[in-house]
Amino acid sequence: MFYGELFFDYLKQYLKTKLAYRLDLLNELISDFISQIVNLVFILVVFQHTNFIKGWSQQEIIFIYGFFLIPFAVFSTFFNFWEFQEKYIIKGEMDRILTRPAHHLFQVVLETMDPESLAGVFTGLIIMGYAGYQLDLEIAWYDPFVFVLLVLSGVFLYGGVYIAIASLGFFIDAKTGISPMIYNIQSYGRYPVDIYNKVIRFVLTWILPFAFVGVYPSAYFLGREDLFVYVWITPVMGIVFFVIGVWLWNLGVKNYRGAGS
Amino acid sequence: MYSIEVKDLTKEFKSYRSREGLSGAIRDLFTREFNIVRAVDGISFNVKKGEMVGYIGENGAGKSTTIKMLTGILKPTSGSIQVNGRDPHKQREAFVRTIGVVFGQRSQLWWDIAVQESFRLLKKVYKVSDEQYQTHMHEVIEILEIEDLLNRPVRKLSLGQRMRCELAAALIHNPPLLFLDEPTIGLDVLVKLKIREFLKELNARYGTTVLLTTHDLTDIEALCQRVVMLDEGKIIYDGELQELRENWGGGKSAAIEFTHRIQLEQLTALTGHLPIRWEQENPLKFRAILESNEMTVSELLACVAPHIEVKDFRIEEVSTEEIVQKIYQKGFTTYA
Amino acid sequence: MPSMYLEMIRIRFLMMLAYRVNYYSGIIIYSINIGAYYFLWDAIYSGQGSMGGLTPSQMTTYVAISWMARAFYFNNIDREMALEIKDGKVAIEMIRPYNYLAVKMMQALGEGIFRLLFFSVPGMLIVALFFPLTFPSSPETWGWYSVSLALSFLINTEINLITGVLTFFLLNNEGLMRAKRVVVDLFSGLILPISFYPGWAQSILHFLPFQAISYLPGMIFAGAMGNEQIGGAILIQLIWVVVLLLPLYLMWIKAKNALVVQGG
Repeated sequence: MFYGELFFDYLKQYLKTKLAYRLDLLNELISDFISQIVNLVFILVVFQHTNFIKGWSQQEIIFIYGFFLIPFAVFSTFFNFWEFQEKYIIKGEMDRILTRPAHHLFQVVLETMDPESLAGVFTGLIIMGYAGYQLDLEIAWYDPFVFVLLVLSGVFLYGGVYIAIASLGFFIDAKTGISPMIYNIQSYGRYPVDIYNKVIRFVLTWILPFAFVGVYPSAYFLGREDLFVYVWITPVMGIVFFVIGVWLWNLGVKNYRGAGS
Repeated sequence: MYSIEVKDLTKEFKSYRSREGLSGAIRDLFTREFNIVRAVDGISFNVKKGEMVGYIGENGAGKSTTIKMLTGILKPTSGSIQVNGRDPHKQREAFVRTIGVVFGQRSQLWWDIAVQESFRLLKKVYKVSDEQYQTHMHEVIEILEIEDLLNRPVRKLSLGQRMRCELAAALIHNPPLLFLDEPTIGLDVLVKLKIREFLKELNARYGTTVLLTTHDLTDIEALCQRVVMLDEGKIIYDGELQELRENWGGGKSAAIEFTHRIQLEQLTALTGHLPIRWEQENPLKFRAILESNEMTVSELLACVAPHIEVKDFRIEEVSTEEIVQKIYQKGFTTYA
Repeated sequence: MPSMYLEMIRIRFLMMLAYRVNYYSGIIIYSINIGAYYFLWDAIYSGQGSMGGLTPSQMTTYVAISWMARAFYFNNIDREMALEIKDGKVAIEMIRPYNYLAVKMMQALGEGIFRLLFFSVPGMLIVALFFPLTFPSSPETWGWYSVSLALSFLINTEINLITGVLTFFLLNNEGLMRAKRVVVDLFSGLILPISFYPGWAQSILHFLPFQAISYLPGMIFAGAMGNEQIGGAILIQLIWVVVLLLPLYLMWIKAKNALVVQGG
């Protein structure tokens, strides 16, 4: 398949570039790891002062965090859109993309891809595995498949949201700087949403549905049957948001006005 | 058969204005003023297969906007475009396989890795077969003399070297139509000459159609028989470069220096029967302006030289650059 | 201060006003942030009277003011510097008749003042409508808080300048800047007051500059510090302002000597 081949060619290209800056790679891996640990520290410190948060134990919340890291790592690998507006729209790199015969979104994904983020999958698996072990969770034969499905749904959901945000760059002539701010919000999906009030719970479930990347899918493995409804609509949400994102993107490309004159 | 067919093409942009000062900026937070700018205003032209056309205009005349619409980057506000028989913006992916684009100010190549790695990836992107790549690119690389640059990272190349590689990169799929947006900007004379030679060769060998925008009119003189001239989004001239020169060049002139002082009357008396106007620079130097294209310089010399001793003689031709400059300053209609 | 620097503050201020969407989304996101943390802490307290020396209402105030203060002291000048260094634009900055680092700091100040006036103050009023905040009653506390906030801006900006200058030596320090941001948020007490940490961690954090960015001013504002403690807190901040100048200065000298402009 054309796009599959292209993916590997861009990956090769990426690796060649990376080898030119080897120290960088290490630097990035370490800094990613630090950010992941920092959030764990927060949870550990808070549970020094209490045993349960709204009925969730420390191990359960750590499990949710571990799960969250996995779709997030895959997402970060492919949807590295933080500087999209700056680089592709304000500086006009989109011109070049549009003169090449492959789907524009796909090209941007490939050009900005960041495979070292995948290391987060391992951190996530370790954290989740450790917490799961402490919780003595049972694993059915089909659970790994459910796990993959839920992770992929989370990736598509995240991808859709960030594609939509990046698309805003096509419509707005000034720098938006919106994505680092959304970045702050996404962390709330990592906590059980029932600690929030209705409005925030609504936002995290339906508007910026980051709860579907953390707490809802984890509820399946934690056996929280009260949340199973949300577990099963996770794939639907993933598809819906991804479609919305791509639709907005296509609309944005139509509206693209190029850099300069 | 046309490569490019453009009819009533228009592109409008919203251009936001910033109000002045701090209070203005605060007001801008809530409401913004804008005007609609017509970057390209109802233009029509065709380009035949194998033609090399120069597309010229001042900054902001709408050149880049046109190129971007022709290459499918921008969607026109109205009007129709057919390039290589396709609508560029509608069937973008299939369409861009049939064109090559070089933006002088933007790189196609990956900055940190060797040139040939970029070529290899682009070869995949454009689905070029190995045989096709071997035969075609081999030639391109040879003519552009970039063999030795291929294994160097792009960031280590000089501008001229990079530009030659950019050209090669745009030609990987041997497109029948090539867009060049300011390809020689910032290059030294030797590199410019080499690039022009290459483009001529490309055109002769493969019949590649070329649409070229540039600030350097010598590029156009060297390459294009035809120019399309743009001003404020409208085409003000579309035709032969030669014709432009003949009609608006204001004829030839000759500067003559004599060995001793001469009166202007003496000269007018000698050449009274010829369509010539004389201007005096100093007692020794005169300029003869030939007011007819039919008249030859030798006729002039035949009238003057036998009677007055000529020390130096130089034919002056108005450069295309000057013609274009005049047209933009005075406006096309008044000048014509 | 030369008028040139004042002009830079003004220009940056205008630039910030031009980024409208940034502005609107910022207010919404910060409010959501504060709200989310409010509920998180509410759930954590769930009936307990006091934790880490803070009552629930002091905690709410602490969270709100910490985020609003972050809007003031936070800036991306390290990223901007990294970009300018990578693009080679820094060479142009070097031939201009001003001190590059001072210019960067002034730009950060312009950005900070903008956010303080158009963002933190209205934001704080909005948040106060929804959540039970307790504002300091005495004008003295407000005064001390202002001083403390100004110092926290200086300290954070110095740290940013240091990470920015590091680009000269690392060529690409995107990762370091990202890590710095997270570490500052955690160790400055923004997401977790220092007093919540276990004793051994607290004693380490007290020797780091980060607590001076968010924890100290936040505690002053939340009324969790006596007068004597306030004096001590300000003193610690002052010390850090001075101490951080040293590595910054040394690195800058070294950077100027070894100016490697990438892509040149």
